[in-house]
Amino acid sequence: MSDWLKRFLPFLSLIALCAIIPLAEYFILGHDSKFLTAGNLAAIARQTAVITIMAMGMTMVMVSGGIDLSVGSIVGLSSVVGAMAMASGTPVLGGFLICLAVGAACGWLNGAAVNLLKIPAFIVTLGGMGIYRGLGLYICDGNAVVGLPQSAGYLAEKTFLGFIPLPLLIVIAIALIVHFVLSQTQLGRYCYAMGSNLEAARYAGIRVSRYQIMYYAILGALSGLAGAIETSRTVTGQPNGGEGYELNVIAAVVIGGGSLSGGQGTVVGTIIGSLIMGVLANGGNLLQISPFIQKIVIGAVIVLAVTFDEFQRRRVESTEA
Amino acid sequence: MSSQPPALEMRGIRKSFAGNIVLEHVNLTARSGEALALVGENGAGKSTLMKILAGVHQPDDGEILLDGTVVKFARPADALAAGVAMIYQELSLAPHLTVAENIFLGREPLQSATFGLINQRDLNARAQKLLDEYGFKLDPKMRVGRLSAADRQLVEITRAASSHTGDSRRVIVMDEPTSSLTDREVEELFRLIRDLKKRGMAIIYISHRLEELPEIADQLTILRDGHAVYNGRWGEIGTDEMIRHMAGRALKEIFPPRKAQIGDVKLRVTDLSRPPKFQHVSFNARAGEVVGIAGLAGAGRTELVEAIFGATPADSGQVEINSEPFTAIHPNASVKRGLSLLTEDRKRTGLCLNLPLSTNVTLANVGALVQGGRLQRKVELNATTNYIQKLSIRPPSPGKAVGRLSGGNQQKSLLARWLFAESRVFLLDEPTRGVDVAARAEIYREINELAEAGAAVVMVSSDLPELLGMADRILVMRRGRLVAELNARQTTQEEVLKHAALEE
Ligand SMILES: Nc1ncnc2c1ncn2[C@@H]1O[C@H](COP(=O)(O)OP(=O)(O)OP(=O)(O)O)[C@@H](O)[C@H]1O
Ligand SMILES: [Mg+2]
Repeated sequence: MSDWLKRFLPFLSLIALCAIIPLAEYFILGHDSKFLTAGNLAAIARQTAVITIMAMGMTMVMVSGGIDLSVGSIVGLSSVVGAMAMASGTPVLGGFLICLAVGAACGWLNGAAVNLLKIPAFIVTLGGMGIYRGLGLYICDGNAVVGLPQSAGYLAEKTFLGFIPLPLLIVIAIALIVHFVLSQTQLGRYCYAMGSNLEAARYAGIRVSRYQIMYYAILGALSGLAGAIETSRTVTGQPNGGEGYELNVIAAVVIGGGSLSGGQGTVVGTIIGSLIMGVLANGGNLLQISPFIQKIVIGAVIVLAVTFDEFQRRRVESTEA
Repeated sequence: MSSQPPALEMRGIRKSFAGNIVLEHVNLTARSGEALALVGENGAGKSTLMKILAGVHQPDDGEILLDGTVVKFARPADALAAGVAMIYQELSLAPHLTVAENIFLGREPLQSATFGLINQRDLNARAQKLLDEYGFKLDPKMRVGRLSAADRQLVEITRAASSHTGDSRRVIVMDEPTSSLTDREVEELFRLIRDLKKRGMAIIYISHRLEELPEIADQLTILRDGHAVYNGRWGEIGTDEMIRHMAGRALKEIFPPRKAQIGDVKLRVTDLSRPPKFQHVSFNARAGEVVGIAGLAGAGRTELVEAIFGATPADSGQVEINSEPFTAIHPNASVKRGLSLLTEDRKRTGLCLNLPLSTNVTLANVGALVQGGRLQRKVELNATTNYIQKLSIRPPSPGKAVGRLSGGNQQKSLLARWLFAESRVFLLDEPTRGVDVAARAEIYREINELAEAGAAVVMVSSDLPELLGMADRILVMRRGRLVAELNARQTTQEEVLKHAALEE
């Protein structure tokens, strides 16, 4: 019963939200739903795309028992570096690839540091958060990087069939890949094993450090991709881009049933988690709820989700043979 | 019997997990000053019954009476307060705290009650006194995470046994306290149990080592498939009948015969050292051979096999596999070379408890499931089902989280992992820890098959009859050194023990 609840609670919450918001629009504001229009739904998709992309990588890292607080800073740093390259003549596609490479390098460094220094990932990446942000600000002197070609806007602005934004397609593609990796491949299997019992995984002959570094590098690369999309959206390099994203990204994983202690989490859950936050924000705006109140609500949702997770975990632990 | 009610009575206990009935109308009585032996196959429901008594689980039906009055335990703290202490089958200590801190966890002697200041020196001194009294050789200031499984079990025993103040403690439950202890420590434990009995305590004692029960048992309760199939005084029935009650059938022989050809040296260990744990250890194991390693707890046997496997590499010395030098720096390299280690501590270094049985079985050889970059679930399922049948893992559900299997079935799952990894050299550290008699015979048969197929098996065990029954040669370790090599066919328990415990 509660296993069932655990699996479907996030989904049910999302459905409930999507039902309540139009009703509230109708009964409180007295007009037909703006929420359920193609335009608005596409807007939600676009707004949540960046967070969802990063959350896919974060799902891997968190399932494997780690965490990365530096992802927001990686968005900023990769955006600045990629934009500088484009501003100095690198083709747009090359610039975006540079964003990805910078992100992957930062993630690789995080993973390597966690393994070499044997310090908790929370601390290592808290440091990384400062280092990458500082680095980004330093190389552009704190100013947005301008002078990018207009075609740099392609990645964020391009739409298909008139309303399907390109970032949404990217999200779908990445979600499918990560879902496949987590559920169907060795890389994903080891992810769950390491998060469930790192020592046991090591004794089973798994190269735990190598895999761990790989998960962080993938998350880094996806954060770099997020940086590329942000760069494209503003057609500038933003040293402060991605600030605070880490919290939304981690929240998406956790609301979607991912466990802070590792071993649990799914792509579908994380997507739902990310959508719940996106819909909450969007619905809040439509219903003209103060953004301050919205913050309070999102905070409460996170606490509830983690409480639920902990509660579940304790039940499992107390019943071990 | 007088009119005085028994110290503990459990009546009509029923319990199910997610629709599966685990206990059905179980009655059990324990009297003060006596020890009740509780036996049954793996998964019979012994631990579940005791966890209900300890307030960990709530029964669906039935009642618990202490000294004739009905009690209800909503949580472990309630049971403790009412005088029920329990040593859990799966160790439950805080690894970052010291031995003394663990013994007194939750009831620390305070320097100042208002500020909750703990008097560390007093704490250590009291712990030392208890350990001396019980005859356990442990350093109270040692961090528990660094102790072997056997030593941790001693800490658990000390904690539970010492938790009585005056007459407030009435019942002590010990769920397989001896599963990783050697004979000497078992003797100390029995001395302690007799002492506790004299002080009027009721002891409930769970064990799969039937041969140790006569020493302490006064009463016997046998569980099978969640039913209490026998309740009586100890000695009314013999071992054979006991096993028949447990398994529902008679057991032909515990140690099946082996027809293995002894071949080339598969594993050669030369001068391996990691002081102070073990020093200058040299031996070999040949194809088709089972080499037993005996020794007291702390003799360095686990450390030795972990070093050969590369989990914690040795400081010096050589290992050869199939006559090729091999430096184990990481278990990964060892597994690739066909070397496997069944670890002593299945919870810490063995199983991923919240993952399915199938995942745990295939973990050391996931590569075998991959085809075209994809894990083939069908292959995984078939392999798992195969081992479920071979080792009779119960319940036979590949998707069940392995942490929800009974202790003995967890052990079988871990063995299945290494069988699936197709190793050629097996290091088995306490392979039958917590496994019931019938299933033990199956594991022995499996080990024989391995040897007959040309694998070399090194078996560390604290169960001497098991070593004598299974091994070709027995190596004895004492304080980190190999001190004797005995022919298992010709030696006796006494001789092994003499070598293991000399000069102490
Ligand atoms: N939390 C749980 N959820 C589901 N099933 C459980 C849970 N705990 C125990 N079981 C099941 O209950 C049955 C009895 O388990 P229990 O641990 O009591 O056996 P046991 O007699 O102690 O066996 P062993 O000798 O192997 O320790 C087993 O089939 C087990 O799988
Ligand atoms: Mg048990």
